[in-house]
Amino acid sequence: MKEYTKEQIAKMIDHTELKSSSGQGKIKNLCDEAKMFGFISVCVNPHYVEYAYEQLKDSDVIVCSVIGFPLGMSTTEIKAAEAKKAVLQGAEEIDMVINVGALRDKNYDFVLADIRKVAQASAPAHLKVILETCYLTDEEIVKACQLSVKAGAHFVKTSTGFGAFGAFEDHIKLMRETVGPDIGVKASGGINNLKDAIRMIEAGASRLGTSAGVSILEGTPMLKFAPKAWLEPEIPCHICPVRFANMSKLPKGVYAYYKKRCLNCPHRDKYNKFYD
Amino acid sequence: MTKLNSNEIYGWMNKILKIDVSNGKQEIVEINDDLRRKYLGGRGLGVKLYTDMCSADIDPFSSENAIIFLTGPLTGLIPTAGRYQVISRSPQTGTICDASSGGVFGNVLKKTGIDGIVIIGKAEKPIYLLITDDKIEIKDASQLWGKNTHETRDALTDKYPKASVASIGPAGENQVLYSAIMNDKDRAAARGGMGAVMGSKNLKAIVALGTKDIPVADPEGLKLLLTKLSRLIDKNPVTGKSLNLLGTSVLMNVINAHGMLPTENFQRGVFNDAEGISGEKITEVLLQKRSACFHCPIACGRTTKTENKSGEGPEYESVWAFGAQLGINDLTKITEANYLCNELGLDTITTGNTIGCAMELYEKGAFPHELKWGDAKILEKLVEDIAYKRGIGEELALGSKRLAEKYGRPELAMQVKGLELPAYDPRGVQGQALSYATSNRGGCHMRAYVIAPEILGSPMNIDRYSSDGKAEIVALLQDISAVVDSTVLCRFLQFAMSISTFAEMIEVVTGIKYTDDELLEVGKRIYTLERKFNSEAGFTRKDDMLPPRFMEEELIEGSSRNRVVHLDKMLDEYYAVRGWDENGVPTEETKKKLGI
Repeated sequence: MKEYTKEQIAKMIDHTELKSSSGQGKIKNLCDEAKMFGFISVCVNPHYVEYAYEQLKDSDVIVCSVIGFPLGMSTTEIKAAEAKKAVLQGAEEIDMVINVGALRDKNYDFVLADIRKVAQASAPAHLKVILETCYLTDEEIVKACQLSVKAGAHFVKTSTGFGAFGAFEDHIKLMRETVGPDIGVKASGGINNLKDAIRMIEAGASRLGTSAGVSILEGTPMLKFAPKAWLEPEIPCHICPVRFANMSKLPKGVYAYYKKRCLNCPHRDKYNKFYD
Repeated sequence: MTKLNSNEIYGWMNKILKIDVSNGKQEIVEINDDLRRKYLGGRGLGVKLYTDMCSADIDPFSSENAIIFLTGPLTGLIPTAGRYQVISRSPQTGTICDASSGGVFGNVLKKTGIDGIVIIGKAEKPIYLLITDDKIEIKDASQLWGKNTHETRDALTDKYPKASVASIGPAGENQVLYSAIMNDKDRAAARGGMGAVMGSKNLKAIVALGTKDIPVADPEGLKLLLTKLSRLIDKNPVTGKSLNLLGTSVLMNVINAHGMLPTENFQRGVFNDAEGISGEKITEVLLQKRSACFHCPIACGRTTKTENKSGEGPEYESVWAFGAQLGINDLTKITEANYLCNELGLDTITTGNTIGCAMELYEKGAFPHELKWGDAKILEKLVEDIAYKRGIGEELALGSKRLAEKYGRPELAMQVKGLELPAYDPRGVQGQALSYATSNRGGCHMRAYVIAPEILGSPMNIDRYSSDGKAEIVALLQDISAVVDSTVLCRFLQFAMSISTFAEMIEVVTGIKYTDDELLEVGKRIYTLERKFNSEAGFTRKDDMLPPRFMEEELIEGSSRNRVVHLDKMLDEYYAVRGWDENGVPTEETKKKLGI
């Protein structure tokens, strides 16, 4: 494992507040914390972009706005208009949600156009495409990454944090392998502590979306002491998306895909022996 | 806060007084820069002073024995820093012991211009100490002797309205081996019988009444840092949310769900009525208001009320000790037993755990007095009898180790080195198990709270079932905890703050800069010095041992089922990490390296 400083990790974190219940006070705190702890950006809903920009304009922290959030099912025109306005109000990064349904329908032309139009509307801001990996098979994740790159995205991103589950190491590795070294990969959703963060970074994430950034950073000095002990390899099943594959929350095909994957997994015997 | 000249000492008041209560003689204890830098204050400096003054074979109840009350360099300046530490040899365990307590007493004591006091001797009649600015006076406490801690506090604050009071209750007067020192009514320096040591000196109370400013090296830096600390506390899910909303009893459902809520003297790890004694239930039926120690935004305290009484608490460990540990689900009776312990000055963990031991002894036919699981009606009388050493209480006042040995079943005492275990079954958490076993003051969760990473994911989650790597993590957390106890801050801050942040606090307050490694070495030095004392007192590897139940009997239900503790392997690794020999004794090389 590489050594990480607080500063390095801070510059990988989009300090995030996306709950619908969050008022302006929370966004003020978010911005203050981003300045205080040196995060690269704050990630907010479009409603707060202008306010966040005002809070941060004299700092190095940039504003990132989610678009078409959290379902990704707005029309392309609405997504593009939403992105354009966010950029006008000061956003330097745009995190748009892919149209998951269209992707699963293999309506690739539509998905490509959807992303491309948002990318054009967002320029010069950077575009991240949220794939919502929890609703996709590995094959679909690969396809979504390819379409995003082709459409001009600068990053691919795992999750909204509002789906069935968030970022997993397996998905990050797959996304990194697919997009190569020149495109960013953002892990988001369920990154609650330093170990989660390190796992994602080691898997290939170059950006982390989390609301636990302050706690993550504060844990960093612990890694200097007993790093091997802290980062003992996880039991593979603990960090496998299959563990969170819930029939009531996933599309039937994706659920079946995960179950099949589990049945064929080399770790299965150990898992069963350990827990059943 | 005042900023003094650069040649001044900041953070510390630069005065520790020693008083012999036999004759009233006082002297200043010289503390040089080297000692301050190497041991900070509180637990660390206290252990250093104590071990320099008292040999490891000293009788804790002898006149020669010292009991030390100390604040730390951060006392009075940082959120939670109203605390103080009490250091002596424990009459319960025979180990070195420090007990910590919150409230405001520490802050008020330090504002007298005195960082702490060393008390030796034995007064001929009951006394209390009145500490005002730069001055200690011995006062007659004959009228207070026999009063409970609340009555004592009320009587003394009637006389000194702005004072903070730390006192013992009847349990301490009667030298019950696990009696507590209570301050500000319901805050306890509970573990290890420090109240009994006070009682042995006929010392009923200490009254602090200070008005001085505490010197700070960088007042502007401190202001900025306080903003950051506030953010850190607020953003941490434990300190920013759980502890405030539900108090420490937020853990009840969590630990039960992990199958490691000790039930009926650790025979099981799941208590079916946990919900009924949980933080959620306390909030619903008992809570009057949330309360906080000195400048603490966490506010984990609970002001509660039953039909009959009102008071503080109960905290998680106390609810467990009188609840799941005894198979009792009557929250009112549990709460009132906790109130009573506060008034009489008893350690709730040991009190409940010892009753649980007696219940299992009875269940197994080894104890003549009928004590049954789930019988809440007996609690009040048992607690009173223990404090006054009456009837069956005289035997229970021995603590579980001595009680179980007396009745020929020592394996039924759930203790380490004579100190009763708290509310986490070690079979579900291998690291916490090692922490219990190697704790310098006996079965305690506060030397290293490995529950934080093993259950709560703070600062990051580790596999609770695995023994791999736990030796390093336990030693690390023990060292950090020793630093925090020496600064003297609340250990809850460890959830939210790293060693680097503690170093920042020390720097802005004292002007002394520590790297993370240097500060950690302070913790290591303190832990090793404590261990050295214990070794000289005869403690060896055989005492770094858990009750056999945890190595031999698997839990039968819940998510920790089929687990036992793999202690031997972890102990070998732990001694190697520590630089101690195979018997757990610090090597000459280690002591030399740490400057002990």
